[in-house]
Amino acid sequence: MLRRLRRVPLCACLIFLGLFVAPIAAPTAAHAQSTSDTPLQDVLQTVQAQVASPSRGTVPDVLSALLERDAPGTVEFLRAWQDRGIVERPEDGLFFVAHETGGMVELIDIDTGAVVEQVSTRDVNQIRPNAGVRREINAALVQFELMNPDPARRIAALESATRSPDPEQIPALELALDAETDARIAARMERLLDLLNARFTTDTATRVDAIDGLRGDISTEARRVLNQLLQTRSDFAQTLPDDANIARIRTPGQDMDLHAAYRVLSDAGLFPPRPGRNAIRDALRANVVDGAVGGIPVHQLDTDEARRTAYRALQDAGTVPPLVTQADMEAAVAQYVFFDAYLEPDATVTDAASTALDSTRTRIGAFQALSLSLDALSLASIFFLAAIGLAITFGVMRVINMAHGEFIMMGAYTGYVVQTLIPDYTVSLVVALPLAFGVTFAAGVAMERLVIRHLYTRPLETLLATFGISIALQQLAKNIFGTQARPLTAPDWLAGSLALNDIVSISTLRVGIFFMALAFLLLLLFILNRTRLGLEVRAVTQNPGMAASMGINPDRINMLTFGLGSGIAGVAGVAIGMYAQVTSEMGANYIVQSFMTVVVGGVGSVFGTLAGAGLIGALQKGIEWFNPTNTLAAQTYMVLFIILFIQFRPKGIVALKGRAAGD
Amino acid sequence: MVSTNQPDTARPARRSLLHTNPSVLWFMGLLGLFTLGVSILSEGMGIGVLSTSMVKILGMTLCLCLIAICMDVVWGYCGILSLGHFAFFGLGGYAIGMWLMYARTEIVIRDSLAGATIPPTELEVTDAVTAQIFGVVGSSELPLIWSFAGSLPIQLAMVVLVPGLLALVFGWLAFRSRVTGVYLSILTQAMTLALSLYLFQNDTGLRGNNGLSGLQNIPGALHVPQSVLSVWFFWASAFALGAGYLLFAWVVSGKFGSVIKAIRDNETRVRFLGYNVEGYKLFVFTLTAVVSGIAGALYYPQAGIINPAEIAPIASIYLAVWVAIGGRGRLYGAVIGAATVSLMSSWLTGGGAPNINFGSYRFLWTDWWLVVLGLGFVAVTLFFPKGIGGLFDYLVRKKP
Amino acid sequence: MTTLLEVSGVSVTFDGFRAINNLSIAISEPELRAVIGPNGAGKTTFMDIVTGKTRPDSGSVRWGERQVDLLKLSESQIAKAGVGRKFQKPTVFEEQSVRDNLAMALANKRGPLSVLVWHMTTSDSARILELATEIGLQDRLDHRAGDLSHGQKQWLEIGMLLAQDPRLLLVDEPAAGMTPGEREHTTDLLKRAAKTRAVMVIEHDMEFIRRLECRVTVLHEGSVLAEGSLDHVTKNQQVIDVYLGR
Repeated sequence: MLRRLRRVPLCACLIFLGLFVAPIAAPTAAHAQSTSDTPLQDVLQTVQAQVASPSRGTVPDVLSALLERDAPGTVEFLRAWQDRGIVERPEDGLFFVAHETGGMVELIDIDTGAVVEQVSTRDVNQIRPNAGVRREINAALVQFELMNPDPARRIAALESATRSPDPEQIPALELALDAETDARIAARMERLLDLLNARFTTDTATRVDAIDGLRGDISTEARRVLNQLLQTRSDFAQTLPDDANIARIRTPGQDMDLHAAYRVLSDAGLFPPRPGRNAIRDALRANVVDGAVGGIPVHQLDTDEARRTAYRALQDAGTVPPLVTQADMEAAVAQYVFFDAYLEPDATVTDAASTALDSTRTRIGAFQALSLSLDALSLASIFFLAAIGLAITFGVMRVINMAHGEFIMMGAYTGYVVQTLIPDYTVSLVVALPLAFGVTFAAGVAMERLVIRHLYTRPLETLLATFGISIALQQLAKNIFGTQARPLTAPDWLAGSLALNDIVSISTLRVGIFFMALAFLLLLLFILNRTRLGLEVRAVTQNPGMAASMGINPDRINMLTFGLGSGIAGVAGVAIGMYAQVTSEMGANYIVQSFMTVVVGGVGSVFGTLAGAGLIGALQKGIEWFNPTNTLAAQTYMVLFIILFIQFRPKGIVALKGRAAGD
Repeated sequence: MVSTNQPDTARPARRSLLHTNPSVLWFMGLLGLFTLGVSILSEGMGIGVLSTSMVKILGMTLCLCLIAICMDVVWGYCGILSLGHFAFFGLGGYAIGMWLMYARTEIVIRDSLAGATIPPTELEVTDAVTAQIFGVVGSSELPLIWSFAGSLPIQLAMVVLVPGLLALVFGWLAFRSRVTGVYLSILTQAMTLALSLYLFQNDTGLRGNNGLSGLQNIPGALHVPQSVLSVWFFWASAFALGAGYLLFAWVVSGKFGSVIKAIRDNETRVRFLGYNVEGYKLFVFTLTAVVSGIAGALYYPQAGIINPAEIAPIASIYLAVWVAIGGRGRLYGAVIGAATVSLMSSWLTGGGAPNINFGSYRFLWTDWWLVVLGLGFVAVTLFFPKGIGGLFDYLVRKKP
Repeated sequence: MTTLLEVSGVSVTFDGFRAINNLSIAISEPELRAVIGPNGAGKTTFMDIVTGKTRPDSGSVRWGERQVDLLKLSESQIAKAGVGRKFQKPTVFEEQSVRDNLAMALANKRGPLSVLVWHMTTSDSARILELATEIGLQDRLDHRAGDLSHGQKQWLEIGMLLAQDPRLLLVDEPAAGMTPGEREHTTDLLKRAAKTRAVMVIEHDMEFIRRLECRVTVLHEGSVLAEGSLDHVTKNQQVIDVYLGR
């Protein structure tokens, strides 16, 4: 690889290493270039002793010799050398790359890569550089890599350096930064340099500069560095020490527990430990004499008061350590000052770090809000998909379909069955979506014809009849597919995630579901507002009696709407199945939320459902943000909010007004 | 049939409850006979034909009949399809369960500490009880709502107050904003869901999804064998069911019954008659919630365990199914529905029923019962809207 | 004769449609008044406003000697204050007996607890029989209301209205679907009722109104077009235009 090094960086390398190495390794610098077939072996032989038994002092000699020769395979050699993969053949002192195969060692020529011979491990000397040497080699390697002409290699080198930060990387980075032509990589180098400087440099001004450079950097590395700089330890002293970098002073009784403060002092041996309840009890237990302790009969010792009295008696007799009262503790604690001090002694540095961290936190807050909004949007899309079918049937027919969740489940199982038949995930998805629509459309129409049609005058009973269908369908699915979850795998192009930075990222599947919800929104708006069917549906929604007298056949409209609503549930099922899992109970998990969405949004309006889904999605994520560990609590509060919301807008966000509202 | 144009139509109609509702007498008689029969056949008191667990199941069924009556009054008579009455039932169970669990744990702890050299302080006992009860949810502090868990009278009051207050507040909010019909059903379902989700959390002080357990052990009667206890609870449940039946028969038979039936049929019209519809609904909703709480407080000591899954919305929907199958708008219908369906469910899903072989396919009741129930329920709704109770009407009307 | 109900300057709009437009109307006690008007004139909406079912956008509705603002009361409070209403479609409680229907309407205490402990007293029972006789249903007291004929349901509803003992009766199309004989009976009922209280009748049928022999208010497009005796208003050119179409 070195062969392909660009001219400029190589010069820079040489200059840098020259400077770095010069004081020790000047003599070997002038070495004529030979035209040998084994340039690397040749140059190594010039510093044979230093390679064979490396020490920290001699490594620079080897490095400068190698650099000067610039032979192909130098990087590979350095890496092998560092990893103890180089052996010396004692007969001629030549070096080989060793490849162990079952007790034997294959010697590989370091120039040509050809296998030279197989020998026993005892026949060669393995070269074992110590830790110090390895670090030197590593620094040189970083150097080589950071100047590699391939940008991908340079980025990889940067990333590995970020993972294992080391002060020795600083000069190499500075040099590489000077030579860097790619602005993006240069920016990353600068950032890494800031990270290293902030941590390792001794010069305060440079550090503060570096810390300022990290301001607003939301990456975990930057935050880790800043947090490390701001680490504190708790301590106490009789007076506040002048030399400590104080973070804050704690006042016992206010921002510090009095007992805890006293315990610090007693642990340090300055005061006697305070006997707690258990200690008192144990002491009493150990000093029972003739059924009494300190003159108090044992059976009376069932209150703290009595126990303390008995203990005092023991204390007066000198058998137990004294009680420590509240006043004792207060007096003891008052003699000392308790404080948190930064581990970093320089106040300028810690000030800069805490300012930088504050501004980072602000940015993190903004990004978290963005991330939360994306989450909410994605949740809202799912609710919308799950609820819109319900909203259509409820709006047009005033029928609550409790089996709607089971239509979602049916769609998901359709997707699963298709996937077992068609192995290609993309193709099976393309087949499953329309098929799921078809299956649930048919199921919906069948249900409308067989059951719901007969119950239009009794809406509460529709609720119950559809519930009967719901439990039957659920159990049927259990009988057919079993109780365990079935996988519905998303195709690869939906399996990844889009990441903006360390905080904001969203899975491609969620984006897909969002666009699917959007597509259905547009499709429904088109059907409702631009087609004859839509016109008739709206007419029936607003005034069924009038619509019927205008020659619209409400039977047909009801059947089609019910089919449409169910069909959408089926498609939603495929989407939800990929996002969650396919079980016979998956529909039940969404049904209540879907009802809420419809009720909050307002019946009979696509935009109402959209608003409802948006509100509920945002609300759920918003509440989760306040209490991220507890999704159950978030759901509880959300439902409570909805109950209250209905108080103020009983007809939902988008309410039909006037006589059409049916009151 | 009242004779026409006779002065006796003007006589004040102070006919007694039993006179106007012969079914009450029938019901009381049958319930008494049933109680007597179960006692005689029981393992604890009688000849031992019925096992203790069977007696418990029958006792629990009586409690379910009681809540079914509540559901019937609120839905069949007043037209509010509440999908939340099992929440009240569960709250009653939790209220009594807290005492059962606390008091029993306290007895166990005191017994185990009795041998110690020094008697324990109250604080030590409380701490030990807390550790015992809340160890599973990793908490060492006694939640505030358990402050009175050691006192039976207070917890008994809670059985009535907690469901009653919840129903009062929720009902006031819902009825005030004139939420009716399916909206109201969904809202009650939301309430139930919120409550069960709340109880599922570990940090709400009711042991999360572990629920309360060991409720079959009654503090103060720990020496009494379960076989005898089961009969005691059976009697208590039968008494509660009888009392509840009488109470609601009285409530729905007079003018109050007329008004709530009128509310069911045409709420607006009742308003124009000058009745405060919201007040009536709230009264019925709260009263039935309180009785549901009592039913729950009797049920869970027999079940032995209560957890939030019992409160999930689905339970309340099943309650509606029982009442619909039994027949709405008649109290005995609710009892018949609850008893039939819940006993059949436990018989068929418990594997008690013989499976049927269809050639190569084996029809397992455990697999197919819910399918049959669901479809049967659809059929009842479609073809027999009056349920099983409707058959009685049919027979009675045919006779004369 | 004192003014019992005074509606002034009331307007109400549904989705941009002005159903009632600056309507002012007053009725005294006792008085019999007929309100006529073509379809969509706002007759039913006017009743909705007085009984509290619809809230107007502007205007005021004053009631009784103390000038109570009815717009601040709920439907049941208005009913208790003494406004009774009969709907266009007969709405009796079909599942219950005629006796129960009348008993519910009797002017007794309306609170849930007092209703729960209520017993039918001798005077209640006598009053029910008296009302039933008046509406011709004394034979059918223990029949289901749902089994009555259409006309009988109309009467039952009027009977329930009378049982409430209201000061103002709002009667929406009482004669719809009745036989001529039944109509005559209904006219008598209303005229008798109007001797002691205010009665406002909405009707389409001119013959029926003529027999009522009372003041007539003609509504059109949500406001009063004419008022006076039937002969007076039927001679009014505007009224003729509205009814015959311009």
